[in-house]
Amino acid sequence: LELYLRSCSSSPSENEIKLLTAEIERLKNFGCLGVSPSLEGLRDENAKLKYRLNFLQKSLQEERSKTAKSMININSCLQEIFGAAIQAAYPDLENPPLVVTPSQQPKFGDYQCNSAMGITQILLKTKEQKVSPREIAEKISKNIPANECIEKIEIAGPGFINVHLRKDFVSKQLSSLLMNGVQPPAVGKRKKVVVDFSSPNIAKEMHVGHLRSTIIGESMCRLFEFAGYDVLRLNHLGDWGTQFGMLIAHLQDKFPDYLTVSPPIGDLQAFYKESKRRFDTEEEFKKRAYQCVVLLQSKNPDFIKAWELICDVSRKEFQKIYNCLDITLIERGESFYHEMMKDIVKEFEDKGFVQVDDGRKIVFVPGFPVPLTIMKSDGGYTYDTSDLAALKHRLCEEKADILIYVVDSGQSVHLQTVFAAGQMIGWYDPKVTRVAHAAFGVVLGEDKKKFKTRSGDTVRLIDLLEEGLKRAMDKLRDKERDKVLTAEELKAAQTSVAFGCIKYADLSHNRLNDYVFSFDKMLDDRGNTAAYLLYAFTRIRAIARLASIDEQMLRKAAREEVLILDHEKEWKLGKCILRFPEILQKILDDLLLHTLCDYLYELATTFTEFYDNCYCVEKDRQSGQIVKVNMWRLLLCEATATVMAKGFDILGIKPVQRM
Amino acid sequence: KVRRRLGTGVGGENYKTEGYVVTPNTMALLKHHLTITGGQVRTRFPPEPNGILHIGHAKAINFNFGYAKANGGVCFLRYDDTNPEKEEEKYFTAIREMVEWLGYQPYAVTHASDYFDQLYTWALELIRRGQAYVCHQKVEEIKGHNPPPSPWRDRPVEESLLLFEDMRKGKFGEGEATLRMKLVMEDGKMDPVAYRVKFTPHHRTGDKWCIYPTYDYTHCLCDSIEHITHSLCTKEFQARRSSYFWLCNALDVYCPVQWEYGRLNLLYTVVSKRKIIRLVETGAVRDWDDPRLFTLTALRRRGFPPEAINNFCARVGVTVAQATMEPHLLEACVREVLNEQAPRAMAVLEPLKVTITNFPALKALEVLVPNFPADESRGFHKVPFQPTVYIEETDFREEVDKGYKRLAPGQPVGLRHAGYVIAVQNIIKDASGRVIELEVTCTKSDVAEKPKAFIHWVSEPLVCEVRLYERLFLHKNPEDPSEVPGGFLSDLNPDSLRVVRSALVDSSVLSARPFDKFQFERLGYFSVDPDSEEGKMVFNRTVTLKEDPGKA
Repeated sequence: LELYLRSCSSSPSENEIKLLTAEIERLKNFGCLGVSPSLEGLRDENAKLKYRLNFLQKSLQEERSKTAKSMININSCLQEIFGAAIQAAYPDLENPPLVVTPSQQPKFGDYQCNSAMGITQILLKTKEQKVSPREIAEKISKNIPANECIEKIEIAGPGFINVHLRKDFVSKQLSSLLMNGVQPPAVGKRKKVVVDFSSPNIAKEMHVGHLRSTIIGESMCRLFEFAGYDVLRLNHLGDWGTQFGMLIAHLQDKFPDYLTVSPPIGDLQAFYKESKRRFDTEEEFKKRAYQCVVLLQSKNPDFIKAWELICDVSRKEFQKIYNCLDITLIERGESFYHEMMKDIVKEFEDKGFVQVDDGRKIVFVPGFPVPLTIMKSDGGYTYDTSDLAALKHRLCEEKADILIYVVDSGQSVHLQTVFAAGQMIGWYDPKVTRVAHAAFGVVLGEDKKKFKTRSGDTVRLIDLLEEGLKRAMDKLRDKERDKVLTAEELKAAQTSVAFGCIKYADLSHNRLNDYVFSFDKMLDDRGNTAAYLLYAFTRIRAIARLASIDEQMLRKAAREEVLILDHEKEWKLGKCILRFPEILQKILDDLLLHTLCDYLYELATTFTEFYDNCYCVEKDRQSGQIVKVNMWRLLLCEATATVMAKGFDILGIKPVQRM
Repeated sequence: KVRRRLGTGVGGENYKTEGYVVTPNTMALLKHHLTITGGQVRTRFPPEPNGILHIGHAKAINFNFGYAKANGGVCFLRYDDTNPEKEEEKYFTAIREMVEWLGYQPYAVTHASDYFDQLYTWALELIRRGQAYVCHQKVEEIKGHNPPPSPWRDRPVEESLLLFEDMRKGKFGEGEATLRMKLVMEDGKMDPVAYRVKFTPHHRTGDKWCIYPTYDYTHCLCDSIEHITHSLCTKEFQARRSSYFWLCNALDVYCPVQWEYGRLNLLYTVVSKRKIIRLVETGAVRDWDDPRLFTLTALRRRGFPPEAINNFCARVGVTVAQATMEPHLLEACVREVLNEQAPRAMAVLEPLKVTITNFPALKALEVLVPNFPADESRGFHKVPFQPTVYIEETDFREEVDKGYKRLAPGQPVGLRHAGYVIAVQNIIKDASGRVIELEVTCTKSDVAEKPKAFIHWVSEPLVCEVRLYERLFLHKNPEDPSEVPGGFLSDLNPDSLRVVRSALVDSSVLSARPFDKFQFERLGYFSVDPDSEEGKMVFNRTVTLKEDPGKA
């Protein structure tokens, strides 16, 4: 119309211009819509739907808080409260920003809601309304629904809403924590989680790269299990493929009677290297190796036997490491999916996704430049095929609601392509099922280069762990702990510190980054290390013991005493303890475990502040006799310790009674 | 007679009433009831706050409040606000205002919604006792005669408890589930609904609930909670008496006695909310309080005194029979009261100017008029008397016929209260021959021959608007299709309102406030309308002085 108007202005037909201008105005004001008779009905229905939605949300909150045993996630409680307030204040806003964070300074209250600023932007953009964030903050504050946790609300600065929690509420949560133990935040229906982690290759040594997957994967499983999920821990072993041809051929040469006498393969790595050398140099051997692959894949019993023998050797080696690190998982290697791959190829072909390129069958996935090769020109399958088969099995057979691959970042494009292919073919809907690649960076040496031995070889994991043990013992001796602890205690402290430190050093770094492996740093008992936390933990545990308060007395006190949080440091510690569920919730969402390490470190330092300022047990200076036991403070110690213990448990760290 | 049936007028003797169900718990519950009420009679007026009260409600108010008062008891005003969709603040305040206007003070103002929590707890208990269940039959399925019994009637208690909880949490859409009570009513209706889902906020409970109790479930339990002794209701509820007793007993709570009385209906009008809305929408009446309607606000505006309405209700009585009354019976009550209450004044609706040529004074005289001629001890007011006065056009005729006693050439007439008789001297006409003014001479009445009649007049008057009303409908039962086939809107009386824009009223009414009442001599009883403004008063004619013989 406007174009037409412009053309009209040259040929003067004033009336037409006027008419059209009026028409534009009318259209701009939705004049064309008029008031349809069904509009009223739709408005009513809309009001009812809104009412019902609000009701269901409230009921959901009610149901969640009813599962009495779960710990209350204060942050999400506040989010719900502010969500409701914003909804009431601005019912027309769709998905208004909802930002609630713990306050950094006591003067800003305990938590802050910073949504007002965002809403200002939205009102300006979508409704062309200029409203100051402060005004919005005030309106939100006026609409805060009745709740049990907020003491008061202040509006500060441009429009921050500072929240002060109610003391009795925090105190009550701490009491219930002491009575019920540490409980997970409520996460709703029990869902199935499949975690693919560790996943080394048969006949190859586990190296430091596998260490990260193993440690992160184990910890993730523990977290999901604690949160009440049904977790399937899968070790996606590299136990199938062409390398088995040369291994079996070599086995037949070296141990011809392998079918009757178990061959003593001591060093599988050396065995692998030998066969690899022959494969690369002996043409005849190479040919035989290929034949072996074909026979193995056709399930010839003799070849299956050989394959199993080799796998068993590897398995035993892996298990040693898993035992050291206290790792539990189910072996379900590539071979498990072998039979399914034929059907996978057929499924992609039937749905018309397959292209043939130079004899290969390839699948292009929209958004990914490199296609998946699902069948090689010789009819063999690839990693792409086995990963697709594994994905389908986990989704359709295991019926996973959440599927997590703890695999290094280098595999990112490959995995994303596989996931996208799974969606393309309709195995899952990302809105319903969560398939995530929990990627991690590489392990670097202290020289910031790839972690290698001095001779340039990859570092064998088992050697690394042994060195850890040795270093931990050195440290303990340095500190003359050997003079205080019994031999048994010393040994327990050694393994706890050694493996705890290796795990913690890995977990405390953002997994997405590369990380520098340094025994010196991880064994330092100052700073954010396992050594520091383990030490702090034993100290907290000792407080009650030294006051001759046993577990039963603590339990009784937890039931009867009100936790007084009058001292600033008590208040700070109490709130810090109760942030545990929100930390876990965050990790369940983003799978970044270092948040838990940061939290434990913060908890330990907050505890130290409290302990330095608040007497738990008052003793006579001369006699050393106990004058007074401040029971509520001992309860705070106990609450701190139980949360730390649960944190350690999730991280896979075993604290000791004494160290 | 209900009054006799209601008997003792003492609380706690419910069990003596015929038809009252005595359970093993009854005596204990009554004993407890007596400790709370001390044997006092307790009644309640329970309107739904979804419309304006009308003359029918006046009877309920009169009966409930009146019965309590007569027996030294108390009466609650309880808003039956169980249905969230229709309630508006204005109805609550209007109802209270009308109760107070009728001269009653509620013992307490309560709301059915005050008891939602208790009602909900009881609903759970009723399910646990196996007396209620969640049903998924659609509304259409259970409507009408002989609907099929619910296939969910015998579902396990646990299941009903869970589903009822789901109803409360909003998991069912409207109409997808109801809670029903296991009982058959007098009229054969099975398993009345106790709770239904409504995604509507409530006037008082906000967004706390999405299930709301029904009348059948709520009413008797609220009566029980308030320890009502006599639950008075109109006859339509007779069919629900057994469910009333059943529910209280099913929950083992104190059970009041329900008494029914006949509804009061008035001829020549409609009182239903929906119909009044139609009348307002079509412009047949001005608003809910248009004086032609029989809502209580309309009656007040028209000038009906509350005492008259109470007298009327008392006279209709509380027989069980439905009372259908002629409006003139109500009007008779109004006259009775106004005769006592409304001071006299004079007004001329169709003025004719009269100039007294031999006025006996240089300036205006003052005339004393008794406020109530029958009882001069109730005072006098002054009105000016000037050479120019106005009389009703109809009080003058050029030709005299037999029976005509007022002013005519050669036939003098007395001026009420003035103490003068006037005689026509000269008739002034306009070009069309219409009489526009009279010139008269006056004679003091004590010296003049006694005239055949006295007429009212005004001098130095106020110009006012006067609204005269007739029945709104032509037929007795405008809603009856056999009487009025075209529907009530086709039965409107075209002459139901006549507005006299320039009536002249004597200055004694000058300081009157809205709803003040006067008897304008020879014209009827009038009430100041709230439309009155500074310098322009508006009067409604409440009733004429005598019943129109045509209406009797």
